[in-house]
Amino acid sequence: MGILRLASLAQDGTTASFTGVIIIFGKLISLLSTFLHLGSGATWPGEVALRLSPTMLSSLASHLKKGVILIAGTNGKTTTALMIKTILENSRQSVVHNASGANLENGIVSALIQKSDADWGVFEVDENALPSVMSSLSSRVRSDGEAISHQHEIASSKTPRNDNKKKLIIVLLNLFRDQLDRYGEVDVIAQKWEKALRSTKAMIIANADDPLVAHLGLHTKRSVTYFGINDRTKFLAGMEHATDSTFCLHCGARLAYEGIYFSHLGIWKCPKCGQKRPKPDISEAKSPLPGLYNLYNALAAKAVAKTLDIQADLAGFHPAFGRQEEIGNVKIFLSKNPTGFNQSLRTVLDLGAKQLLLVLNDRIPDGRDVSWIWDVDFEMIPRTVSVRVSGDRVYDLALRLKYAGVKSSIFEHLEDALNTSELLYVLPTYSAMLEVRKILMGRKIL
Amino acid sequence: MKLTIAWLHPDLMSTYGDRGNIICIEKRCQWRGIAATVMPVTLETHLSALSTSDLIFMGGAQDRQQKLAGPDFLKNKGPVVKKMVEKGIPALFVCAAYQFVGHYYKPYQGDPIPGVGIFDLYTEHPGDQAKRLIGNVVAELISHQLSAISYQQKTIVGFENHGGRTYLNTNSKSQTSTTKPFAKVIKGFGNNGEDGYEGAVYKNAIGSYFHGPLLPKNPHLADWLIQKALEVKYNTNVHFRSLDDSIENKAHGFIVKKYGSQKIDTFRN
Repeated sequence: MGILRLASLAQDGTTASFTGVIIIFGKLISLLSTFLHLGSGATWPGEVALRLSPTMLSSLASHLKKGVILIAGTNGKTTTALMIKTILENSRQSVVHNASGANLENGIVSALIQKSDADWGVFEVDENALPSVMSSLSSRVRSDGEAISHQHEIASSKTPRNDNKKKLIIVLLNLFRDQLDRYGEVDVIAQKWEKALRSTKAMIIANADDPLVAHLGLHTKRSVTYFGINDRTKFLAGMEHATDSTFCLHCGARLAYEGIYFSHLGIWKCPKCGQKRPKPDISEAKSPLPGLYNLYNALAAKAVAKTLDIQADLAGFHPAFGRQEEIGNVKIFLSKNPTGFNQSLRTVLDLGAKQLLLVLNDRIPDGRDVSWIWDVDFEMIPRTVSVRVSGDRVYDLALRLKYAGVKSSIFEHLEDALNTSELLYVLPTYSAMLEVRKILMGRKIL
Repeated sequence: MKLTIAWLHPDLMSTYGDRGNIICIEKRCQWRGIAATVMPVTLETHLSALSTSDLIFMGGAQDRQQKLAGPDFLKNKGPVVKKMVEKGIPALFVCAAYQFVGHYYKPYQGDPIPGVGIFDLYTEHPGDQAKRLIGNVVAELISHQLSAISYQQKTIVGFENHGGRTYLNTNSKSQTSTTKPFAKVIKGFGNNGEDGYEGAVYKNAIGSYFHGPLLPKNPHLADWLIQKALEVKYNTNVHFRSLDDSIENKAHGFIVKKYGSQKIDTFRN
């Protein structure tokens, strides 16, 4: 009923008042959703708003004073977005951010409904949703990389009229195989990105060490700021099995690596056509979190700071939920695909972990297909580390560990697996991470 | 005793846990005191090396990688593999590799891509509107060759994710075709989602849409391949000791229980 009335109002009224009404309506839905314990309202208000007005994202984003920063990639979106948010806030700029990890268009719109008058929108975006979110946002961006303000869409006197140059920045972190049954093939995602980048006027920040992501940068006409690691002491002794892009995207020849940091990230070049890793503009950063993967996240955040000409100050940074989050004696390292799992394992073992809990679920957010655990190098776990396993697919995990020569204790109930007073490093898939937090904190998310 | 396992295109035809099959064969050999060596066969590997191997595995691929591996397999490795399979050397072809060893793969648009023709089958993609066949699968073995050996498990379990539909015995002489369906689908889609069959068997070669790590949860298949490899290599009957497969059976049983609700009898020895 309410929706119908709003829709008719839309036809009668102006776009401006319609947007304002939807914001109020969205906030009401969000409150109602929280009140009725239907979740924190991370996607609902946005979903309803988009149904009422498909151009809602650009309408709402036009209220942001300085612009939008989108972060995409298989691994590190949430942490990188949080780092960028911290940097911006440390330079006294206000930020709206999809902190709950709802990273489709409806999640971004929901975040904007909550708070649309910030300086910046910093949003992590799902790999497959990036092209549509970009086209929704960049419809009115000028060729010099500056977006034109949509001020006319709202008649509020609060809207600043002095700054009509807004930026759109796109951060491309990496592309790894991840939940094939849900996301599809890595190369298909890359093709969609390439197409989206062809028509964008955004500023692009890209990982030079990922041949697939760097290839996208090398083939766009936009200027690209590259980040990458130059520290040769961090090279792996050999290539991991879980790689996706070790053949030249340009000519198809096998890439030659001076060294590999992990998966297919490294210092690469094509011996046949000469395409090679672009020289990084940013290659040094201090990461507040351990792990080489977090160094990449910190480099990406620093590249954004450089683009905006502000200091990359990460003081006060706290990890996002489930990403090296500490709850009592438990440290949670979300591990949802082969490359992420390898990186988490390496990091916790470097930290001297003595007790691990690995949790494998096969629900929609995890991917129904658990085949990928055979691409994870569990063989690296030393015999001195005690390993517990749990989750929907606990026996698949125990089986994988058996063939890696690692003994594990099987826990069919996650509560029991978490029952220890010693320091426990938990490496869960996504839905398993939410369950672990729920058990430890007694509530759902955030 | 020792075995050399040829892993075809480990860097291109390995998408989602395909390595599990190699790890499984290698470990189950080791646990029985059989020295297993894995030989990665890449674009650069010489054909003479391939032809000395005793067991062949080839996995799935993403499109771009398949385009890189395809021409090499068709022109160079494929004909060698075909000769080996004809001699009875056991092989496992999973997912994209399964499509490669048929007569051809016909994409939705464009010309058919020829296969190596080891198996009497072909694959067609029904168009971009057709749904991909994705999900957990349970099937019941029907191959006579496999049932000749007594096993505890009559079922196979896995996960499938394919757009192409594969059809067996394409010639009118299908009565005489020696390519047989491998299993009957209990839950899932199998070869084409229509005729209820999954995979194919020709001589000692198996093709299957159960992608990625087919063998770890189906150790009876792994043992069958190892046994055949030893029999062909040493020209003698092989009886090797069974292993403690309690975790394997739990992982297998979980899928059967969750998805294959029909009652399934076990083989009577």
